[in-house]
Amino acid sequence: MPREIITIQVGQCGNQIGMEFWKQLCLEHGIGKDGLLEDFATTQGGDRKDVFFYQADDQHYIPRALLMDLEPRVINGIQNSEYRNLYNHENIYVSEHGGGAGNNWASGYHQGEQVVDDIMEMVDREADGSDSLEGFVLCHSIAGGTGSGMGSYLLETLNDRYSKKLIQTYSVFPNQVESSDVVVQPYNSLLTLKRLTLNADCVVVLDNTALNRIAVDRLHIPNPTFAQTNSLVSTVMSASTTTLRYPGYMNNDLVGLLASLIPTPRCHFLMTGYTPLTVERQVNVIRKTTVLDVMRRLLQTKNIMVSSYARTKEASKAKYISILNIIQGEVDPTQVHESLQRIRERKLVNFIDWGPASIQVALSRKSPYVQTAHRVSGLMLANHTSIRHLFSKCLSQYEKLRKKQAFLDNYRKFPMFADNDLSEFDESREIIENLVDEYKACESPDYIKWGMEDPDSNLTGEGSASGLLALKD
Amino acid sequence: MDPNSNVVAATMSSAVTPRWNIERPYLTGRFHQEINHSSSSQVSFSSGSDILIGSYPISVQELLIIDDLLFALLGIEGRYISIKRLCGKEPHLLFQIDPSTDLALQELSQRLFPLCKNFISINDFVESKSHFNTGLVNHAFAASLRTLLLDYQAMVAQLEHQFHLGRLSLQGLWFFCQPMMGSMHALSIVIEKLSANNLSGSGTLNLLQSQAKSMAGDNEVRNLLEKMEQSASSAYLHILERWVYEGIIDDPHNEFFISENKSLQKESLTQDYEAKYWQHRYSLKDSIPNFLISTAGTILTTGKYLNVMRECGHNVQVPISDILKITHAGSNHHYIECIKVAHAFASTELLKLIKEKYCLVGKLRSMKRYLLIDQGDFLVHFMDIAQDELAKRPDEISVEKLQSLLGLALRSTAAAVDPCHEELTCCVERVPLLKRLAMLKKRVIPETGQPAFSFDELHEPVNITGLETFCLSYKVRWPLSLVITRKALTKYQLIFRFLFHCKHVNRQLCVAWQLHQGFRMINIVGTVISGSSILCRNMIKFINSLLHYLTFEVLEPNWHLMHDSLKTAKSIDEVIHHHDLFLDKCLKECLLLSPQLIQKMEKLKLICLQYAVAVQQLIPSMCMPPVDSMFSDSIISFEKEFSNGLQSLGPMLNNTCEAEPYLTHLAQSILGDAGDN
Repeated sequence: MPREIITIQVGQCGNQIGMEFWKQLCLEHGIGKDGLLEDFATTQGGDRKDVFFYQADDQHYIPRALLMDLEPRVINGIQNSEYRNLYNHENIYVSEHGGGAGNNWASGYHQGEQVVDDIMEMVDREADGSDSLEGFVLCHSIAGGTGSGMGSYLLETLNDRYSKKLIQTYSVFPNQVESSDVVVQPYNSLLTLKRLTLNADCVVVLDNTALNRIAVDRLHIPNPTFAQTNSLVSTVMSASTTTLRYPGYMNNDLVGLLASLIPTPRCHFLMTGYTPLTVERQVNVIRKTTVLDVMRRLLQTKNIMVSSYARTKEASKAKYISILNIIQGEVDPTQVHESLQRIRERKLVNFIDWGPASIQVALSRKSPYVQTAHRVSGLMLANHTSIRHLFSKCLSQYEKLRKKQAFLDNYRKFPMFADNDLSEFDESREIIENLVDEYKACESPDYIKWGMEDPDSNLTGEGSASGLLALKD
Repeated sequence: MDPNSNVVAATMSSAVTPRWNIERPYLTGRFHQEINHSSSSQVSFSSGSDILIGSYPISVQELLIIDDLLFALLGIEGRYISIKRLCGKEPHLLFQIDPSTDLALQELSQRLFPLCKNFISINDFVESKSHFNTGLVNHAFAASLRTLLLDYQAMVAQLEHQFHLGRLSLQGLWFFCQPMMGSMHALSIVIEKLSANNLSGSGTLNLLQSQAKSMAGDNEVRNLLEKMEQSASSAYLHILERWVYEGIIDDPHNEFFISENKSLQKESLTQDYEAKYWQHRYSLKDSIPNFLISTAGTILTTGKYLNVMRECGHNVQVPISDILKITHAGSNHHYIECIKVAHAFASTELLKLIKEKYCLVGKLRSMKRYLLIDQGDFLVHFMDIAQDELAKRPDEISVEKLQSLLGLALRSTAAAVDPCHEELTCCVERVPLLKRLAMLKKRVIPETGQPAFSFDELHEPVNITGLETFCLSYKVRWPLSLVITRKALTKYQLIFRFLFHCKHVNRQLCVAWQLHQGFRMINIVGTVISGSSILCRNMIKFINSLLHYLTFEVLEPNWHLMHDSLKTAKSIDEVIHHHDLFLDKCLKECLLLSPQLIQKMEKLKLICLQYAVAVQQLIPSMCMPPVDSMFSDSIISFEKEFSNGLQSLGPMLNNTCEAEPYLTHLAQSILGDAGDN
């Protein structure tokens, strides 16, 4: 089975959104809670279940999923749920002591290091079971301990061992508006962000702040539960894989999908938007959905699942590097061009100046088994320079905490930070700063020449000096 | 009648006449006499009596002459009236009356001679045209003439009866013959023309019709001729009936206006670029009966449709009721209605058959899936597993191996559930797309009226591989080969090859992109890698935009249009037309008909491909951090070449935009929003 994708869900949040994701995939492909194909789904075809599932000897479908956690609560929940027979039990890893990572990145990372053999054995077995593995998808949050710490370790190991495979992550960013119960969240986020920058090919940023805002403002749920925001995430995850599961003219492999969105190796953080949104199949107001409506709504900030921390002046400078709209449903193909034309005429999108850019559209079929009230729905995957404000926010929160030298003792307990060696923090900070700079540079028309003419502005880059050498003439 | 002319006629008609029949074609009537006295040319009026008629008193002369005339009216020589056959240029009959007869009687009898003459020629005609090889129409005409002659003979018999009763004078005879004179005359003119031109079939019908029209003033004659035409055409209409109701040409005498070319087999459709089978298997001849000219096309297609169904093993018959019995009577246009009914029946039945039993739309959808890469996942897998084989030179590639790899790819992707996937075959052509286009330009691509471009100036890539020449083919079976002809399939293949190569370039660029991704661990800002990754990004953008244009702006909308019009199509010809229109439009909008643009695109694609290959060769061997000056030089030159290419594409697209509005879509998607400024 070609171009398989293995999903790895780490930590509490990772397993929760992963669980929702598999629920959604099962619904869309007509796979029952025990992995057996539903009666109504046996005849119709044309979908690719094998990208995310494989079949056991008794024909029941098993997700290519690895479930990992350092504490048993969520995974036990999954194992006691009605979906308990869906997963391959060999693919579930729960730490023996079950103590968790205590919201400490260093603990998660360290524990990951110690159980690497067990974990990688699972990964290898799953990878060997696929014909031509395309890559891994990691679901986790960057704030806690397990998802961030163990996830980080996993990213490094995967990148090392499977350097030819793609690694995409769905990373949940913590709520930065409300005060969190995890005080060291800025530390955890920063350390994880370093790995996301260096070790992942693509990071789909899911910002809890924005997810909450969307749930409150757009779906009118006063106090959204995790389950409700997680269903938003699963919607996004499943929609972003529709072109793989329901093949169309283009974007039939993950690499093609990502290559069109990511211009340079590090600018690989994607924002998402989805419309029309419903939660838990609760139908709100049924809107008129045309391709134009959907595309226009996707461009509105209020539908984007990343908060905008930019000040207005900076926000106006922000530019789209690339946009892919995956439109699902009954679409008259002639509408696509008209909609793009209208959006262009009204100058609704601000694109980068240093290269040709336009909205890419992928039309995809809808699952025949999921009834929706709307004819057309759309997902936007966008590489937008305003994402740098999210990173800046992370940086500034980190700075605040770091200045006070707060809570560092918990980290010093672990080998990486032993002997008060906090260089890992500094290095991470530097890399994130570079990332912010690079996104900022993307906003300028001279991005191509960035770092070549003005070495002083970019002393932090390790490679800049040699780059100058190479291009000096 | 010259028997030799019949030999000629016999060889022309489809049926063969036995030899004895040619030597002695007629056994009755005057022909019989003629053979018995082949040399009866001398005239003797004294065969019956030695006494000259002039020596009798006039009243006796009258009786004798009446007696002779009654014979002459039936074409038999009398004592005083001789019938002489002059063998001149055209056979001619000369009636002579004994010159010693009273002048008044002579004068009066001579007036009757034309009638006698007409009787003889009509009788001859009836005899000769009843002959086997003169055709059904002539047979029918001859038969109705024979009934007329029976009336005529009955009249003569009655006259003779009167004569025996002594009630008939010469004037009386003249008087009673009057009504017949006109009709017989008109008929003899008809048969004279008929024989002179040796007409048969529709020629006969047309002649009868035109004669009836020209006799419009003489109601009686006109009615007669129309009646004749009607009875003559009844045989013809029977042939027509079988054709429009059953699709069978039952035409032993080669009279029908539709001819069948049996040498064209339906299997030829999968080979023949011109689709001759459909156009020429059944065709109209020149000689169409006038009353059918306006509906000839409809008649032809009706039978053709019925034939297709019969070839498919469905014996479909138009349900005939009495109302649908095709008759032809004067100005009555009932037959046109019948033909219309039959046509409507045949086309809906055939369309139903092709759409439902042979599942045309499903087939087209599957063609779209594979040849227009509507569901490209099988191709991703195929290119994964077949890349080594495809990278060889076209003549080294094992098509069998590709075929089995293709089968594997189809079985393991979403295509597996499509039963049609087994119809798909691989082929590797010898020449690259541009050259193929140049070769096919005359054969496949319709004349667009544009000035002829030449593809000759293009410099050919030196080492073409299977990736440039790989193509899919599709086994199309009767009767769908009527719609998906060889020509149509070739058009699909041209589009496929273009798409396939775009996909290949895209794929290679993605590999290059992934190699760049490996550099995220080190800071590459300001290095050549960063420049290269931006170039890579721009190239991916270009090839994606091109693919997006080809698929979502050209193929998909046009396919939808065709799909909708297929739903409303009333006949298979309409279906063929819509399908051809779709392909031509796609071919045109896919730039395959504008050599300048397609060459430009090929050139840009080539740069992308060269870049991707260079990156794939250079990056893995590169030391970290990258300081390879050869690499940076080649990136800079690729960058220059590519941006020059894109820049020159802009004006080229914008210039042609005005004539071809669809190109604005392409320009916008390739050049991005910056293209507007």
